Amino acid sequence: MHSLPNRRNFLKATGVSLALPWLEAFAENPAVGLPRRMVCICTPLSLHPANFFPKDTGRDYIATPYLETMQNLRNDFTVISGLAHPDVGSSHDSIYSFLTAAPHPERRAGFRNSISLDQFAASHIGGQTRFPSLALSCEGFSLSWTRSGAVVPSDSFPSSVFAKLFLEGRPDEVQGQVNRLRNGRSILDSIGEQAKTLQPNLGTADKGKLEEYFTSVRELEQALAVSEQWSKKPKPKVEVAPPVNIANSADVAGKARLMFDLIHLALQTDSSRLITLLLLGTSLVPPIAGVNLGHHDLSHHGQDPAKIAQLKTVETEKMKTFTDFLTKLKNSKEQDSNLLDRTSVFFSSNLGNASSHSTRNLPVILAGGGYKHGQHLAFDLINPPPLSNLYVSMLQRTGIKADKFGSSTGTLRGIDFAS
Amino acid sequence: MMIALLNKLSPPTLGQPMQFIFSFIRITALALALICFTNFIFAQESKRNLSDSYEKHIRPTLVKHCYSCHSQSVDKPKGDFRIDTLTTNFNDNTSKDAWPLVLKQIKSGEMPPKTKPKPSETELKLVSEWINSGIKIAKEKRTSEGRTVLRRLNRIEYENTMRDLLGVTVELKELLPPDSSSNGFDNIGEALHTSTFLMDKYLEGAEKGLNLAIANLPQPPLIKKRYSLKDMHPVKTSTEKVFRLQDDGEVICFSSSAWNAVGLTSFYPPDRGKYRFRISSSGFQSSSKPVTFRIDAGVMGMVGKSHLLGYFHASPDKPTVLEFVEELEARGTIRILPYGLSSAQTVNKIGADKYEGAGLAVQWVDVEGPLYESWPPESHRKIFNNLPTKAAPTYNFSKRVEVSSDNPEADAEKIIRDFARRAFRRKVSDQEIQPFLNLVKTKLNEKVSFEQAIRVGLMGILVSKDFLFLNEKPGKLDDFSLASRLSYFLWSTMPDDELLHLAEQNKLSDAKTLKDQVERMLKNPKASAFTENFVGQWLGLREIDSTIPSHILYPEFDEMLKSSMLKETYLFFEEVLKNNLSITNFVASDFSMLNNRLAKHYNIPNVEGWDFRKVNLPKDSHRGGLLTMASVCKVTANGTYTSPIIRGAWVLERILGTPPPRPPEGIAAVEPDIRGATTIREQLAKHRSVPSCATCHIKIDPPGFALESFDVIGGYREFYRTSGNGKPILIEGKRMPYLQGKPIDPSDVFDDKKFSNIDEFKKLLLLNKDQIARALTERLVTYATGATYNSLDQSEIELIVQKIQSKDYGLKTLIQEMVVSDLFRNK
Repeated sequence: MHSLPNRRNFLKATGVSLALPWLEAFAENPAVGLPRRMVCICTPLSLHPANFFPKDTGRDYIATPYLETMQNLRNDFTVISGLAHPDVGSSHDSIYSFLTAAPHPERRAGFRNSISLDQFAASHIGGQTRFPSLALSCEGFSLSWTRSGAVVPSDSFPSSVFAKLFLEGRPDEVQGQVNRLRNGRSILDSIGEQAKTLQPNLGTADKGKLEEYFTSVRELEQALAVSEQWSKKPKPKVEVAPPVNIANSADVAGKARLMFDLIHLALQTDSSRLITLLLLGTSLVPPIAGVNLGHHDLSHHGQDPAKIAQLKTVETEKMKTFTDFLTKLKNSKEQDSNLLDRTSVFFSSNLGNASSHSTRNLPVILAGGGYKHGQHLAFDLINPPPLSNLYVSMLQRTGIKADKFGSSTGTLRGIDFAS
Repeated sequence: MMIALLNKLSPPTLGQPMQFIFSFIRITALALALICFTNFIFAQESKRNLSDSYEKHIRPTLVKHCYSCHSQSVDKPKGDFRIDTLTTNFNDNTSKDAWPLVLKQIKSGEMPPKTKPKPSETELKLVSEWINSGIKIAKEKRTSEGRTVLRRLNRIEYENTMRDLLGVTVELKELLPPDSSSNGFDNIGEALHTSTFLMDKYLEGAEKGLNLAIANLPQPPLIKKRYSLKDMHPVKTSTEKVFRLQDDGEVICFSSSAWNAVGLTSFYPPDRGKYRFRISSSGFQSSSKPVTFRIDAGVMGMVGKSHLLGYFHASPDKPTVLEFVEELEARGTIRILPYGLSSAQTVNKIGADKYEGAGLAVQWVDVEGPLYESWPPESHRKIFNNLPTKAAPTYNFSKRVEVSSDNPEADAEKIIRDFARRAFRRKVSDQEIQPFLNLVKTKLNEKVSFEQAIRVGLMGILVSKDFLFLNEKPGKLDDFSLASRLSYFLWSTMPDDELLHLAEQNKLSDAKTLKDQVERMLKNPKASAFTENFVGQWLGLREIDSTIPSHILYPEFDEMLKSSMLKETYLFFEEVLKNNLSITNFVASDFSMLNNRLAKHYNIPNVEGWDFRKVNLPKDSHRGGLLTMASVCKVTANGTYTSPIIRGAWVLERILGTPPPRPPEGIAAVEPDIRGATTIREQLAKHRSVPSCATCHIKIDPPGFALESFDVIGGYREFYRTSGNGKPILIEGKRMPYLQGKPIDPSDVFDDKKFSNIDEFKKLLLLNKDQIARALTERLVTYATGATYNSLDQSEIELIVQKIQSKDYGLKTLIQEMVVSDLFRNK
């Protein structure tokens, strides 16, 4: 059995020093065990299916070009084919339902989103960390949605995420922040009072909107109270330089790397256990050798072999950043385990085939988290189980007693816990 | 009586997936249907009775006649429509539109199909009575609750409202998460949600806005300086020989490569505000032709955001001065780049000193600012009137001051009352302002300074529901609600003093006054928000950047073309609106708004210069109307190829108001092949030969085929461009990076009538002007009221369409009639 000092030494060696809030709780109550976490990643222009899906199934599948980059981790992930959200039609709009499974985003009219996987999990275990969840994005949009179907704004500047996670202000700035939180609470408190004196003759729809508003007011008041507590505790210190934002808005791989590094730090310092990341899908030309066409344009390759070749170059770069991220997690020891084994990493796309905007057969990788890995799990393309079944499996793995999420019909068969 | 009713109820409403199968129903059939409007069983219907009677009388009939094709019992319900999933709640989103369509189908005899047994007269009567009762209940509910759901300001409206309320330009839109849309618009009450995250951002936005509006420091010192480009970082450090430096400080820029843009880097203002720029420039070695250049403004570099100010002309040889005022953030500046000159590589090879091609000479740039008419600025006085200030230094600002008061409670009350009245856009009661006054008092008791206490109260107002939501009471809107509705419709912001003044006197609800206000408001510069937000969403132009055309297939595409194409469409809409021209111009017009870049793109001669103007189109231009505008062609294509399906669906949905059903699930989309072997028409032919596909595609594809004459950036074409197999192309002696592919065939059959090209197709569209008007009215009503148009609105829409028929379908008339309609004047 390793002891805490070992972990501390290790963290120090990798650039993270003491002051890990959860460790204190852990030390007081060893029964709590190591935290379980979840990271959900979406690459919005999909991955060229022919380069992703293995032809054969089971443990002995032959790696395709994209999976080739991940072969050192072969027993740390499962590649899954066939999965899709039922009732999510072909369109880029499927991004809305990626982590929510809400039906028919493509119809636009009458679409209403529902809670995303991470926010659902955060409502159970979010209170244990300084940040209940982190919604990160390389392009501005977000994968995370609240129960009422409102989008959770994402952070897309690595430098400000870093500051939020690790940088302590001057004493007067910290005091300013405490005052700000206090004023915010008084304001929300006084506004919340108004809920008691509502006009009685409201229609049901209006009432619903006002309830949503007052619930938000009340919950923010509570959240600010928690933030106020946290603001009095020092932030974890890391011995790495703050990231410098990447100016080139087409830098698919560079932006991904910065975010992956931040996620690694956030998990390592237990700043948050639930993180979503939307990678970049851009109409611009990524700065990658051999690529001179826009990423979005390449995804609409029209079967042009030259375009498919360039697309492969871009997507291989992307897969490499992901592989490096997993490797980093694996190399980060946590007692006798490692970060990867304690983190369910879900990597997929809202599109199965960007060229036709198909939302069937999504490219799915489930890595880490402590599942029995090392195989290609293939489902019937015509009649697959809902992707939400995998979400339920992930929730349960994260220690949340849920037997239903989105359009699930159970857990995903073939996904078993290793221990 | 009968005729009036018919006119009200005429064409089928379209807007839900299953509508396609219901379209093209003759009005006469409906007329027959309406004759049997006697409530004999469900006279005193209540909601409960509705579901009881459904189980007793209706479901059995539907099971007998409809379920065999339209229920769970079949694998693929016909027309992708299931009747067994409709509920007895006529206010539920799907059911309220579906039941009226079911009624039409059975009444007209379209359904059940002729091959199936006919329902008896009694069965028909029962079902139609039941549906009519349901509609009646739904209408009553709507009258009592209103069709517009309590509407939160969307982020554009929020930013504009903060601007007008506080009197400062403040970038807040990006702070907030994007808003959800419904039916193509992001201002629909039903779709706009609130969350803790959003509330948190509103607190932040309120603080940010107040910080800018309230002056805590002395007036920023005025910068007044003349700069020479030779001192600017890009010129000083360029490793390429692309700049010629003259002794008198003049710099000649020869390269149009993006990285050779010259930022005014020595101008690095510490304070935000308005700055006046004066740029002296001339064309150099430009063969007596003007030289074009672009100017961007903003904070350059990583975290900053710059935007295109515009393209300008430098006259040949003789220096002229360009003057403009621009609002800049602290550390913002401008950047200059010649347009259409040589690349850096070409110039560098020869060297700027010996280079003989055209260049842009910039003699000097004058900057003056930040400009304030007074100090403290208007925004400060708007809140605090003339209350004195006293020193309140902090750690890094020794000269900092704060507003103070000798009579804090009385002053607080006055400030809060006045601010709340403006923020809530109406009169406020003592009771309403009490919570905010209490906030201030609590803070004052905590020994917080007067200004800080006031700020907390103001923030309270800025995150309160009365500020963030458009409060409308069911029934006829009161004058203040009407003022807000009108203002958010045409300006996307709060009403101005004139509107509020009229509302206070109860004069606004007068129809003539309303129409006059529309006139007045459209003349105000704030009306550009209507063009940008309505047209931008109606036509999908906000998506203009979602793809960048392949530079191999479309080497002629550039930023200037892109911004020109957007501008054409916006200016065209405004031209039609301003002059009350017929909305049929949106389908076909004999003019457009062009500058030289676009005219070149359209192959229209004799249009010089960057400035836009009204141009009469030559007869053979194939242009005119929205469909053939480059902007529309671009947003309906991706960067590589066009799809007749996408464009066809776009025309049906946005111009004709008859959107096609969504594609069946599990069917792979057609993947175009640009290798030159097959055309999209050949690929599509395959599935038009399958009967089940053909029913829809026979309607979707034709507009798309007509538009095949226009490539992904709206260039007219007779052949496809390909990167695979084809003939080489030379333009002005230069070999193009693409090849000539197969010929275009823009002919097809639309509504049983043949057309051979886009011009003929437009004529066919114009055969049904009412439908064009109806479709646009539906969109306008949706946007103007913040509520999705549905079948219950049909009769009122028809009234509006009728009114504009006799007035040559004038766009302004349409807007005015819509504004005085019951739809607009009721919640």
